[in-house]
Amino acid sequence: MYIYDEIDQKLVEQRVAQFRGQTQRFLNGQLSEDEFRVLRLQNGLYIQRHAPMLRVAIPYGMLTSNQLRTLAYVARRWDKGYAHLTTRQNIQFNWPRLEDAPDILAKLATVQMHAIQTSGNCIRNTTTDHFAGVAYDEIINPLVWCEIIRQWSMLHPEFAFLPRKFKIAVSGSVTDRAAIGVHDIGLQAVEHNGEFGFRVFVGGGLGRTPLVGKLINPFVAWYDLLTYLQATLRVYNLHGRRDNKYKARIKILVKDLTPEVFAQQVNEQWARIKGGADTVTAEFVSAIADKFTWPSYGVLHENGSAAIAPHLEASPAFARWFRTNIHQHKITGYSSVTVSLKATGSPPGDITADQMDVLAEMADNYGFGELRVSHEQNIILPDVKTKSLYALWQELSVLNLATPNIGLITNIIACPGGDYCSLANAVSIPVAEAIQQKFDDLDYVHEIGELDLNLSGCMNSCGHHHVGHIGILGVDKAGEEWYQITLGGRQSGALKAGVKSNTDSNASAAIGRVIGPSFAREQVPDVIARLIQTYLSIRESDVERFIDVVDRVGIEPFKKDVYMDPLLAKTSNLVRESNV
Amino acid sequence: MSDSNPNLIRGGQLTVNEVQCFDMNNEQALLVPPDDAIWMVTFDTWLAHQLLLEGRQFPVAVLIPSDADFDDATSTHVHALCQADIALIAIDFPSYTDGRGYSLAQLLRNIYQWSGELRAVGDVMIDTVYYLARCGFDSFLIKPGHDAQLALDALHTFSDTYQKSYRQPIKSNRP
Ligand code: HEM
Ligand code: SF4
Repeated sequence: MYIYDEIDQKLVEQRVAQFRGQTQRFLNGQLSEDEFRVLRLQNGLYIQRHAPMLRVAIPYGMLTSNQLRTLAYVARRWDKGYAHLTTRQNIQFNWPRLEDAPDILAKLATVQMHAIQTSGNCIRNTTTDHFAGVAYDEIINPLVWCEIIRQWSMLHPEFAFLPRKFKIAVSGSVTDRAAIGVHDIGLQAVEHNGEFGFRVFVGGGLGRTPLVGKLINPFVAWYDLLTYLQATLRVYNLHGRRDNKYKARIKILVKDLTPEVFAQQVNEQWARIKGGADTVTAEFVSAIADKFTWPSYGVLHENGSAAIAPHLEASPAFARWFRTNIHQHKITGYSSVTVSLKATGSPPGDITADQMDVLAEMADNYGFGELRVSHEQNIILPDVKTKSLYALWQELSVLNLATPNIGLITNIIACPGGDYCSLANAVSIPVAEAIQQKFDDLDYVHEIGELDLNLSGCMNSCGHHHVGHIGILGVDKAGEEWYQITLGGRQSGALKAGVKSNTDSNASAAIGRVIGPSFAREQVPDVIARLIQTYLSIRESDVERFIDVVDRVGIEPFKKDVYMDPLLAKTSNLVRESNV
Repeated sequence: MSDSNPNLIRGGQLTVNEVQCFDMNNEQALLVPPDDAIWMVTFDTWLAHQLLLEGRQFPVAVLIPSDADFDDATSTHVHALCQADIALIAIDFPSYTDGRGYSLAQLLRNIYQWSGELRAVGDVMIDTVYYLARCGFDSFLIKPGHDAQLALDALHTFSDTYQKSYRQPIKSNRP
């Protein structure tokens, strides 16, 4: 865990003081609504359906047990006892009062947390792999680099009023788990002639114009990273469109200029500052690394598998959970555990204050007091001794936190949708629940295998539907809610079975394709079930995943089966009629 | 732009703005302002009448619009401006959310080596002077409705900074 020094601490406290003053001036009528809006957004405050919504950063997904307990405290004291994990390693409170926001932020500052730049047209919270620092396939430790980027981007004087929001993601591993292809800037660590650096992708993003990022530089050496980012942002700040908010993201600039011309402009700006004061030095990198407390793993003499083998044999439920929710750790004898917040019936990504306290406790008891949050809206216990997995599983099971569905169809990514969000065309949470209920047979869910199902309540795409293997999008037709289905999206590497690396390919995310007319809410679970039947009937073996089949055969067979299905076809005709 | 309220921050102090805006469509049909006070002309006017504007007792101030392009094609003009005998360069903020002026200021300071006064005008408020100062502005014309004293204090908002290549604000001498 990165531990703030005096300066880090002072800066977040001074930011709280600044925001307290701004809130006061607004409440006293000295700051107009228009003037205040952007200032509060840059402090994480949206005005939403129920109240202001406060988005708190969990920088690069890393949390301590103590911080999680404080989030629980905030949820109880100023909210309704729960919060929501977002797809960008933030946590949102849905019901705070504006008047309380400065106090909430002050409380968070006591545990080195903040809501700075979690919203607004500025550089947002930098995200990374949720197994950062513990993944077995790491080229570099992205936590250190994310912290370097955090410091560089935080309170950045030049880039606080960009044309639009700006999101950076970093992958330090061979396998991209950070979805770098759908970020404004995606950084993939690579090694080149014994030196390490980053491949730089620019212009990815979802929303109403989904695009996959383009490689604009195949290798930026680590020491040049910040000047290169500065040059990229400078080109965007000066030339990104400001006349139309739907065309203001950097992806549109890159597309309009072409990636080649954009890269050329970045190089021109870069040449002016390369090697300058923001060049990263080796001393600086080690100074940052030294401010992290790293777990003292010690040497375990056994890898722990002997201890759990009998349980794996005796308990199919444990074996199932072990198969999906455990990730290989870089240290022998340890495992990383994903705690699923996707039990049927609880809104995807919601977490109660009680659950926060319990998980904080478990992070202390089973690990080194650290946790991670994933962009798939789950919580990770990164450092669990493999031999203790069975005991941990038993504890989690009692609390309904051991749903064995990571990577599977019921691990749905969903935005808050119409129940909370005033921009929504349709609800998300009830649809997610209906799908989970449809797929309530765990054996069947495991039989289907790896599948990302993502759901957004409107084309702002907070639920990442474009990159779901199956994507669901709420659309509005004549004031009614309908759902459009896409197939073939993915957030990262098209890693076919047996292929180990995607570092040589382009950003390997893909945007899903729409299969046809939309469906009514009640139909959605049946449509998904139909798609799964088609998949199961045409896959070559159970190692051929849903996404692999879509890649191999395209969307036609799926489309045909869905729209030929008498039950579904009948209603989709109704859809068309009702639109006449 | 002239105003008797001390709503200008300059050199870490509050003062009264002394610069007047020259209207190109003035009644006397003057091409350039009279040499009787500090007048502000737009960058375009300055480019068009550079020679007429030389050797003045009261050098002009030059206003850069937020959509100015300082790329290679125009860089000789910008270089010329930064060498010229002018009172100051001002950058316009049509709205405080238009952040182009911050990058323009960085380019003027670091690439074109402008070392004279750099003023932020337009939608300049208490809440933006700190970042403006870090990007190289050293004077700020605070918009109506914003307390210039609070803006002056706001130069102290943060005591430390992360970004190494940006300067620290010039602060007032606080008691
Ligand atoms: C309930 C209040 C929310 C509102 C009003 C809201 C609004 C928006 C809007 C307007 C956009 C589009 C921005 C653009 O196209 O430039 C957006 C994008 C996004 N939102 Fe939200 N959002 C909300 C909650 C969430 C939540 C809870 C999550 C996470 C589950 C989330 C994750 C995202 C992400 C990842 C994007 C980026 C998609 C992209 O790359 O363009 N948002 N949001
Ligand atoms: S995708 Fe749309 S409905 Fe869902 S949270 Fe984002 S803005 Fe709201």
